Amino acid sequence: MASVTSSVDRRGVTWGLVAVAVVVALTFIGSDRLVWFDAALVGYLFGVVFAVFGVVYRYAVWLRRPPTAMLNKRGWDAFKARKARNAAALPALVGTHVLGQTFIYRRSKTRWLAHQLVFWGCVLAALITFPLTLGLLHFQSVGQQADRYQVYVSRVGTAQFDAGTVIGWVIFHGLDIAAVLALAGVFIFLRRRLNDPGALAVERGGDFLVLAGLFAVSVTGLFLTVSSMWLDGQFYSALNTLHALTVILGLMYLPFGKLFHIFQRPGNLGVAYYKTANAEGPQAVCRRCGDGFASAQQIADLQEVLPQMGFDYGTADDGSYQDTCPRCRRASVTLAQSARVGGFG
Amino acid sequence: MKTARYGIDDRPIFVIDQSRCIGCEACVQACSECGTHRGQSLIHLERIDRAASTQTAPMVCMHCEDPTCAEVCPADAIKQNEDGVVQSALKPRCIGCSNCVLACPFGVPKYVADFDQMMKCDMCTDRTSEGYAPMCASVCPSEALWYGTPEEFHAHRRGSLVDGWLFGRQAVTTKVFAVVDDVAAGPIDVLSGEERGWLDDPFALEDGAR
Repeated sequence: MASVTSSVDRRGVTWGLVAVAVVVALTFIGSDRLVWFDAALVGYLFGVVFAVFGVVYRYAVWLRRPPTAMLNKRGWDAFKARKARNAAALPALVGTHVLGQTFIYRRSKTRWLAHQLVFWGCVLAALITFPLTLGLLHFQSVGQQADRYQVYVSRVGTAQFDAGTVIGWVIFHGLDIAAVLALAGVFIFLRRRLNDPGALAVERGGDFLVLAGLFAVSVTGLFLTVSSMWLDGQFYSALNTLHALTVILGLMYLPFGKLFHIFQRPGNLGVAYYKTANAEGPQAVCRRCGDGFASAQQIADLQEVLPQMGFDYGTADDGSYQDTCPRCRRASVTLAQSARVGGFG
Repeated sequence: MKTARYGIDDRPIFVIDQSRCIGCEACVQACSECGTHRGQSLIHLERIDRAASTQTAPMVCMHCEDPTCAEVCPADAIKQNEDGVVQSALKPRCIGCSNCVLACPFGVPKYVADFDQMMKCDMCTDRTSEGYAPMCASVCPSEALWYGTPEEFHAHRRGSLVDGWLFGRQAVTTKVFAVVDDVAAGPIDVLSGEERGWLDDPFALEDGAR
């Protein structure tokens, strides 16, 4: 038991609990003291609370790894150093790095399409289900008109719409649209994972698990619509339980596996600012060839991190091997190896 | 081209002897056909001193036991598989910071700006996991890059194998072996290689040492 408690990161637990408290408070206040909280969704709320705790816990622990902590600090330093310019650049960066994911497009158009389909499917689903689950959003029929609804944010009534219109159809089938998007992406990914020997060789357990999870959530969700529209609600109760189970398991998986990249990857924005600031700053000079090869700031940061990770690349002349450019490192390795076989040939 | 297929008990090894490189670039072409990173050649073919020498040298990932690249990765994106092969960065995680590129003592990882990703040699996991030689070793005509069992190596090649390196005070052990004549001298001290120039006296004729 002692080993279990000692391996738990207390700061991570604290941040996790704070985040859970915020979610619970948001639910309580946002649902007008639970008046508009849908008790049928309480299972989903537990899933959300678990996911929030897990994601925040892991994020807090991750941020404290020395290289991560360094980059996090430097990213913010770089942002703050030229706030106005960097804030102005943010929308374009978010557009390309987070939303448009152009770096995947350049790798493969098919993979980009698949990722965009899954991404927007999940974003759409999250935008609908999280507010519904927390009781922040609900619908009420207007007066005695059974086909006219009003969207309520907490207890504030907003837009009205007719269920029979295109807008009404899109609103009530938002999750079906999300499921179809995600499924299309899952099938493209699955085709690659099953057919590409290279992809199969570097396959990790989580890769298929995520696809299976997205498939299960999407299909069981679509079955609910099938049941209510074409089967007079047959099997609805069982399907509902099955769908809830897949979604809750999916939420609980968020902090652990491949999907954690959703929270990790936006760190790329900090890297973009770090790189811009570094490119404008002084350059490190290679101790062997004398050419500039990288940002002096990044080399200095690395040399601070390396000892924290247990490395000592110090040299006899009180310098550091890490001041060598990558090209000269390859040359030095070659020269040293060749010297041990008496030259080339 | 080597087509031998090794079984799990053969325990094949990757051997590098850069002194044998003839600069044909077959490895560079073959690397880009590796199934795990098709179209991207991740091997380095270095011209040691372009102005004074025709000598070239390949550099593949040496697959360190305790990889510096993985330890300095802020995204925890570089993983070793169960065989000790250090994989290319996990694509969803890599945030393209280039820490690994700058910290690897062998100068191996490449930052591919177009993809905003680090990519590196993964010892052709698609091939080696099925018992085939990596692409580069399968085409290298001078056996500067070589893949086979230790028994095969000792039956056909001169020299001994070392997997220990010194970079200043940092000792590094690698999965890939290098060839040396004097195994008793211990790990290869990378900074000591500079004392003797590449082409000063390649056949050691002047000092009569050999």
